[in-house]
Amino acid sequence: MNGGPRGGGGPLVAWSTIMVALGLMLAIWSAGDASALLFLVGPAALVPLAVFSRLRPAPGGPRLLARVSVPVVVTALGVALAAVGLTGGLWLVLIGAEVGVFGLVWLAIEIVSERRRLGR
Amino acid sequence: MAGGAPVSRLAATDHKKTAAKVGIASLCFFLLSGLLALTMRAELAQPGLQFVSDHTYDELFTMHGSGMIYLFLTPAALGLGLYLVPLQVGASQVAAPRLALFGFWLYLLGGLTMYSGFLTDNGAGDDSWTATIPLSNSSGTPGVGMDLWVIGVALAVFGSLLIAITILLTVLRLRAPGMTMLRLPVFSWTMLVTTFMVVASFPVLVVAMALLLAERHLGGVFTGSTGSIVYQHLFWFYGHPVVYVMFFPFVGAVAETVATFSRKRFFGYRALVVSLLFFTALSMAVWGHHMFITGAVKNQYYSLTSTLLAVPAGIEYLDLIGTMIGGALVFRAPMLFALGFIVQFLIGGLTGIIVASPPLDYHVNGTYFIVAHFHYTLFAGSLFGLLAGVHYWFPKATGAMLRERLAKASFWVLAAGANLTFFPMFFLGYDGMPRRVADYEPRLGDLNLLSSIGAGVIAIGVLMVLANLAVSLRRRVPAGNDPWGAQTLEWWTSSPPPADNFTTLPRIDSYAPLLDLREREEEAAEPAVEVPA
Amino acid sequence: MSGSTRSDFASVWSLYLWIGIGVAVLVFGAVGFAVVRYRERPGRAPSRRAELNLLEGTVAALILAIVALLVFRTFSTEAKEDDSSAVGAVRIDVDAFQWGWKFTYPGEGVTVVGDSDHEPDFAVPAGRTVSFALTSSDVIHAMWIPGQRFKKDAIPGRTNRFDLEFGTRGREQGLCSEFCGLRHSNMRFGVWILSQASYERWLAAHR
Repeated sequence: MNGGPRGGGGPLVAWSTIMVALGLMLAIWSAGDASALLFLVGPAALVPLAVFSRLRPAPGGPRLLARVSVPVVVTALGVALAAVGLTGGLWLVLIGAEVGVFGLVWLAIEIVSERRRLGR
Repeated sequence: MAGGAPVSRLAATDHKKTAAKVGIASLCFFLLSGLLALTMRAELAQPGLQFVSDHTYDELFTMHGSGMIYLFLTPAALGLGLYLVPLQVGASQVAAPRLALFGFWLYLLGGLTMYSGFLTDNGAGDDSWTATIPLSNSSGTPGVGMDLWVIGVALAVFGSLLIAITILLTVLRLRAPGMTMLRLPVFSWTMLVTTFMVVASFPVLVVAMALLLAERHLGGVFTGSTGSIVYQHLFWFYGHPVVYVMFFPFVGAVAETVATFSRKRFFGYRALVVSLLFFTALSMAVWGHHMFITGAVKNQYYSLTSTLLAVPAGIEYLDLIGTMIGGALVFRAPMLFALGFIVQFLIGGLTGIIVASPPLDYHVNGTYFIVAHFHYTLFAGSLFGLLAGVHYWFPKATGAMLRERLAKASFWVLAAGANLTFFPMFFLGYDGMPRRVADYEPRLGDLNLLSSIGAGVIAIGVLMVLANLAVSLRRRVPAGNDPWGAQTLEWWTSSPPPADNFTTLPRIDSYAPLLDLREREEEAAEPAVEVPA
Repeated sequence: MSGSTRSDFASVWSLYLWIGIGVAVLVFGAVGFAVVRYRERPGRAPSRRAELNLLEGTVAALILAIVALLVFRTFSTEAKEDDSSAVGAVRIDVDAFQWGWKFTYPGEGVTVVGDSDHEPDFAVPAGRTVSFALTSSDVIHAMWIPGQRFKKDAIPGRTNRFDLEFGTRGREQGLCSEFCGLRHSNMRFGVWILSQASYERWLAAHR
């Protein structure tokens, strides 16, 4: 078989359908309580994903992946520092944001050079 | 993990290494949160306050519950899937390995942030794992420790969400040739539906925490007569599915274990698939049962959905028992833990049906009856399922066998401890002991003492499991590819698997390819067909 | 509302408990049977049967029938318990706060207040419907009277109304059962269930 599996989205769509039905049931039973809208969060993510997976299956074949990715860890550290900074230390938010941006840029470089090596 | 510079170990992208990190981190949080529980049980062993103050006790039960749910059992469930799903579907790597690594680090940093609250003036978060408004706002629970709790929870839950997404993508896009969705192994099916619940609910919790932080620092978010109810909707919309995230992967582990040690393929596969889809969707629709006594939700709807859970749950039990019936049962340690799960989880599940009835919930909500109910499902149930999975897959992940007699002994000690600790709590709750209290009426002292003794027995059981892990890694007994005679693809490759998981794959005709292979070989002298990965 | 929550609770509890015990016995029995009968034995190969959809459907239908029974009993009992429209009932406003209770009898001019240092007691007449209006001044509390098998949240900004009918005379313990901060474990109260005459005397004494 060339390429990765097609579809696989069936269960995602089936599950989303049950969710919408349960949400409708609550909406009717509770005379329109807004909490019924929460049922849409899952389908909103899963249905597009199922469609995407059907239209563009994975290319299949070997993938070239870095064994180690330090920028990912750096970015995570930046995000965490920025989040902790929300307790009231704007300086920490800024440091975290800088670390995070640095990490993202590094990550972008890492991924681009990976793609180049795959193309070679 | 293979040796290497520390930096490369911290930043390795291989899903097996990320999953191992998740496992180690979650184990550490389990032990930490468990120590808090032992402290609580020491305090509760007798009426009166002996060891801790009211305020400290509030921190203890908050961090115990938060640690166990956000930092131990949820990540452990997802970590198990991160390790196994690529192997079970015949993939060489998880989809988006960097995203999984990123998720791990957010989870770990989130957990450290939560626990760092203990180092602050006012102490760690102390408004329970649910942080109900208005108590959790800045006047109800002042101090930076609570802020750190809120931020830590958001980070840990977001990190878990990212890991779940990679598992979902792996099932969608990286299945080996021949592995259709209806040939996914049972464990991978339980992981798949788990990721549905995670994607549908974890973002809502992250939003709830962001709003809570805004409420604490800016005010005016959860206002008016509906503010506290809005918070509860946002929280419990996550807070119920998360307990199923902490259930389905482990029932999947139990299913694989039972099938292997019954020497039969899993019974009722298609009925199971249908029931998993309904079970997990339904579990998204029951959260209002945590709000029965608020008078602010449509109790009837939630009572109906909550009670309906018995139907798919019953199908799962039927399938587990149906797998054993007609089989050739072998009682190795993983099978003992699996049987323990089946028996003990049922008690938690049936008491769950009881509290799905509002008139009954009106008496036992907020009491030790509920504490007993969820410890039966999560500890006597899910944790035993996790231990079944750990004992089952440890040889695969490490290449070494666990000590069988020590494992069986630790099972019996943990089973005794679990029941001794949690069964008395049903009576305590029914008889008038509310939860989240450091002290209680003297007449409830005997049952509390019994429960505290049980906690000590659990501690011994946990030490036995830790000892087994340590000894088995130091003095290794080689496992080989397939020490159990198992059925699914992860057992085809070496123990531990190579970096790219497989060098060859067998033919995939069903959800039990290795069993098919053995049955074909029994019937004829037909060699396996080798397909390049 | 006729009868008391205590007896309503007891009959529903009994139904659920015995069905639960029955299911547990059945499942434990099935597991026990499998574990004994199907131990690995030399010369006995495992069955290859992997599916029996008729069985699945039958079991699902049976469980659904039990669910229907339970839900039906639950709905009818709950309708009784949630109804709060009794005429001629004794009315008591309850205000929960950190960490005590205030009981007001509107129209009687009686108020009883107490906190975690001094537990408040209020009185009700036996055999008559008592209509409560429950709210909170600060955070969410819950008013629980275990003897009545009933509790309700006290939520700031909302009033929760419910009726109770107290049977046996004597004192019943009440407590807060929703975590509300530091002195949550000490937030208790008492209910004196009195004859009509004693109740009138109690009211007079507390005006």
